[in-house]
Amino acid sequence: MSKITVENLSIKFRIYHDRSPSLKDYFANLFTGNRPAAYSDFWAVRDVSVEFRSGDRVGIIGHNGAGKSTLLKALCRVYESSQGKVRVEGRVAPLLEIGAGFHPEFTGRENIYLNGSILGYTDAQLRVIEPEVIAFAELEEFIDTPVKYYSTGMYMRLAFSLATAVHPDILVLDEIFAGGDAAFMERATARMYQMIDQANIMIMVSHDHRLVSALCNRVIWMDHGRLIRDGAPDEIIAEYLGRSAHA
Amino acid sequence: MLGYLWTLINPLLMMSVMAMVFATIFKEDVKVFAVFLFAGMIPWNCFNSIVVQSSGSFINNEGLIKKIYLPKAVFPLSVSVGVIIDSLLSFVALFAIIIAVGGTFSTALFFIPVAYVLLFMFSLGVGLVLSIVTVFFRDMQYVLQIAMQGLFFLTPILYKASALSGAVAGLVALNPVVPYIELFRAPLTQGRVPDESVIVQALVISLVAFFVGLGALLSQERKIVFRL
Repeated sequence: MSKITVENLSIKFRIYHDRSPSLKDYFANLFTGNRPAAYSDFWAVRDVSVEFRSGDRVGIIGHNGAGKSTLLKALCRVYESSQGKVRVEGRVAPLLEIGAGFHPEFTGRENIYLNGSILGYTDAQLRVIEPEVIAFAELEEFIDTPVKYYSTGMYMRLAFSLATAVHPDILVLDEIFAGGDAAFMERATARMYQMIDQANIMIMVSHDHRLVSALCNRVIWMDHGRLIRDGAPDEIIAEYLGRSAHA
Repeated sequence: MLGYLWTLINPLLMMSVMAMVFATIFKEDVKVFAVFLFAGMIPWNCFNSIVVQSSGSFINNEGLIKKIYLPKAVFPLSVSVGVIIDSLLSFVALFAIIIAVGGTFSTALFFIPVAYVLLFMFSLGVGLVLSIVTVFFRDMQYVLQIAMQGLFFLTPILYKASALSGAVAGLVALNPVVPYIELFRAPLTQGRVPDESVIVQALVISLVAFFVGLGALLSQERKIVFRL
């Protein structure tokens, strides 16, 4: 049984008003004695408490900058909480951005192993899924070619196939639906739905409300880092769209 | 064409050029000087590469760190282990040359693995601290290159420490890299185990560097992703 408990989670970002901080500036400011407040704090997620239980298919909606993706990344441990706690029971597969761990000089096959181990799969698991990944990506011919020679479509197909090869307990999706030609898109969508079906908990961020109402049984609405509403998809989406239309 | 062999041949050629140039300048016998230089360059190159590559390890993997959770120690550790493997391989190649041009083959060579362990702990500790500093101050990379260049000349690699006097000698005495050079040089050029005092000195510096590096990492690792 998987379960995610989020208690009073807040995540603070430091916004730098000038360029990236440098030693040069640091010393210059030290000597001139002028030390302006070079940054301000920004709370991307503010005091969010929520619980996800087994069987939940959650869609997170809200305006750009509402803290949706930040919340997802906190669930995947990419961002540590500034305050509050996130407790995760079960294996999370980060699907935040597929292909993130590919090395251009390595061949497709080597990248399956490299990226696979970054995603937390064991060598034995990877040996099992390797043929299936290659077949789904339709890359049998080019699998031993360095991925830097791949076309964008080939690259995307490989990354997508690998990311969706193992079915995790907890599936986290951030606006990803693979690129590729129409035929691949169709197969990819089917694979995606299958993956969502088999996941114990699925959490997705999307601006596509039709997709959210089709896939989710629970919707969370976030605004300015806060959790505004949490409930049945149709009700919340209607309310959200109504509010957006007025604003 | 040569692939991996380049990582071996490159430092060998580099050191051979240096051996010839400086043997001529210092009017030393090339063979004797080559052994002396190689024995000093092996630990220096290892230290230098670990520190420089670790320092960039977080910012070079920015894309990955922002997307997937991985224990942060993975990044500096993986480059450091890569460097130490390279260094061990080039040690074997250099060792062949050292023996060929008249180095001493003795039981003291069994000390070399110990020297490597101490050197690795020290380099990794320094590398960890700098990897974190570089996240907060991006221009550290450029400062570091210059600093390492300066440190190279303050380390008795091209010359003997005993050849110095005055203020410079004092400065070199403060250089923490010096004992590590001696750890490699004593077995390779004189066929003896390094003095006990040098070993103890290196051990203390290694432990301090390692734990300071570890402490820096543990206290800052949660902040790294926010500063990339």
